[in-house]
Amino acid sequence: MDELLLSKIRLGAVAELLNYDWIAFSELARALDASNGNLGAHLAKLVEAGYVDEEKSFANRRPLTRYRLTPRGRAAFAAHVAQLQSLLGAAK
Amino acid sequence: MNVQPIGASEARDHIEMVDRILAESHQRLCTGGEYFIVWGLAAALITVTFQLVDTARIPAGALWAVPFVLALSALFSVARGYATRRVLQRSSLVQREFFNVLWLTLGLAFVANVAAFRLFPGIASAAVWNLAEAVVLLYIGMHGNRRAQIAGVVVVASLVAANFAPQDVAGYVLAAGMLAGYAGFGLSELLVGD
Repeated sequence: MDELLLSKIRLGAVAELLNYDWIAFSELARALDASNGNLGAHLAKLVEAGYVDEEKSFANRRPLTRYRLTPRGRAAFAAHVAQLQSLLGAAK
Repeated sequence: MNVQPIGASEARDHIEMVDRILAESHQRLCTGGEYFIVWGLAAALITVTFQLVDTARIPAGALWAVPFVLALSALFSVARGYATRRVLQRSSLVQREFFNVLWLTLGLAFVANVAAFRLFPGIASAAVWNLAEAVVLLYIGMHGNRRAQIAGVVVVASLVAANFAPQDVAGYVLAAGMLAGYAGFGLSELLVGD
């Protein structure tokens, strides 16, 4: 299994990004019900691993950070979920 | 990388969370009704102007209004798109695909009007716009928007009706389709929303 995606919040972030071109940091924090500091640390790990791309800009003079899933992150997610499902299948 | 095994109950918990997130993914196209109203009105106005000039009801000089109407509509679209992008919190993959279809379709219609005006003179150019609008609406309809499906059918029906209408009213029929189908859809999006 992918150790990075064993964290529920990181797995949730990747799942949120799966069907989206990009999602803003504040929206991810709201969707995952995570604090800014906690989510920021988890997203930094995903960015470092190349699973997620980070884009910083300004909107209405406020900083806006957006995230998008990379092909590598998409492949890792698919493989990880398949392994979770096989684990569940084996447990039945 | 060290692998930390997890138990079946935790794996189930993770799978259920993923399923819930994916089920809640909002795949409906957020089309922005105001674009459809502006472009539906612009297209109908231009078509009616062509028809009025064609039947000598107004002087040919009125056609100079066409580039201004197009420029104003394009300016509105760019400004509105820029403003929306600044406040948007997420953008779906299907939304990106929709914009690709939108620009490709309307771009090709624009090329047909500007660079192939001998092949599509007068009302024929309006029919090309009508067809492009129908493609856009039916594409949105394919993603589950029933109002867009109906509006697309209305636009296509106006195209067929214009084909069999007398030549001096064909433009009005096409314009009616643009108003009822394209601008009407935009209005319904604004009124009903998500």
